[in-house]
Amino acid sequence: MAKRRTTAQKQRARLRQQQRAAGEGSPRVASGSGRPGARRGRRSASWSWIAVGVVVLVVAGMVALFLTRSTTQSTDRGSASAIAKVTHVPEATLATIGIPKNLPTIPRLPAGTPPVVRDGKPVVTYVGAEYCPFCAMERWPVVIALSRFGTFSNLGTTTSAANDIHPNTPTLTFHGSTYTSDYLIFSAVETHTNKPTSNGGYTTLDPMTPEQQRLFETYDRQQYTGGTDGGIPFVMIGNLYAWAGATYNGDQLNTYTFDQIANLLADPSSPIAREIDGAANQITALICDLTGGQPTSVCSAPYLQQAQTGQ
Amino acid sequence: MSRVARWVPPASLALALLGLGASTYLTIAHFTSPDVLACSSNGTIDCALVTTSPQSRFLGLPVAVLGLVWFVGMSALCLPIAWSTENRLVHLARLLGAIAGVAFVLWLVYAELFIIGAICEWCTVAHVAAFGLFAIAVLTAPALLAGPGDA
Repeated sequence: MAKRRTTAQKQRARLRQQQRAAGEGSPRVASGSGRPGARRGRRSASWSWIAVGVVVLVVAGMVALFLTRSTTQSTDRGSASAIAKVTHVPEATLATIGIPKNLPTIPRLPAGTPPVVRDGKPVVTYVGAEYCPFCAMERWPVVIALSRFGTFSNLGTTTSAANDIHPNTPTLTFHGSTYTSDYLIFSAVETHTNKPTSNGGYTTLDPMTPEQQRLFETYDRQQYTGGTDGGIPFVMIGNLYAWAGATYNGDQLNTYTFDQIANLLADPSSPIAREIDGAANQITALICDLTGGQPTSVCSAPYLQQAQTGQ
Repeated sequence: MSRVARWVPPASLALALLGLGASTYLTIAHFTSPDVLACSSNGTIDCALVTTSPQSRFLGLPVAVLGLVWFVGMSALCLPIAWSTENRLVHLARLLGAIAGVAFVLWLVYAELFIIGAICEWCTVAHVAAFGLFAIAVLTAPALLAGPGDA
């Protein structure tokens, strides 16, 4: 009897010791060992740790996937090689596509419109914003066309706003870029980002220069562009042409990545290339009109000369 | 006698109050302007983008308010008296509340990363607090909810 009591006391002491040990480092209390209840307790505790581990793994997995996707997307949207494909569309592709007949005619500004000149060169003006889906569409042909007359540096990539029509249209951005040419000045401004603000607008980006402001307020009018007053993108080819909006149908662009579009531009059988490259050829023809047919290596192409005479 | 380690009640209460503070701040920002949030707004970190997104509401209710209500409840369930009570319903309510909370947090993290594409710092504070409460509630549950024959 005395021996049994001693054994029971030892068991209780061991249990208390285990409980104290468990209480120091673990939020749970260890159950006694050896009994069915204790085994259930240990199983429950194991499931608890598994539940916590599962949540940690799910969060870690989501973060890892997000980081992977971010890295991939920034490569897709911003790789120098992809941008180079936009600024160096093969001449053979452009010649094959020519200027599609279905493109809208770009309005010519009235005779007597004062020249827009800086440093002795005619000025091509662009006013747009990164959130604007039609700006996203129009930058593609504008960049292709201007790249035939000069060189862009630091062209960025972005998408149109996620909460507007044609959401997340991949595109380039002129924010932070520079352009040099022997034939013309390119004066571009992106007034807003694609980041919405709480009041329904978008955060501001670059302010217009006084010259851009004057041209925008004077010529971005329905009487000149045929579009909405103050509509963007607003593009003005010197004192000859002005339009507001996209000059081609780019409704499907947001079903492609930046890289996919950049790659398709060299394929004359691609509907995307026919739209964008065709619009780029039309803009090229307008710029040739502005530069007096310079450089001839570009402007002497028969399909461009036909377009100029057709305007 | 408390059946949890001594650090559990103060730690869980601290987490609940931390989350309560963050969700209070987010609620104030929701009903005033996201501009009051001390948070950067460029690139991946963008509180205003997150707190003004369509995902900032759930069933028509602002998520910030839902978080505030949840943390108030969890704060009450994490008071020392709640930890020491023999009423299993209290411990069960804490466990179920924590599970529901962390499930909602997982949805919000998914929405931030894959729908909105931005992370809100103050939301993350609340998410971490909710996860901490979940971990404590789940790990203490076996002892607190065990039947008399189990202990």
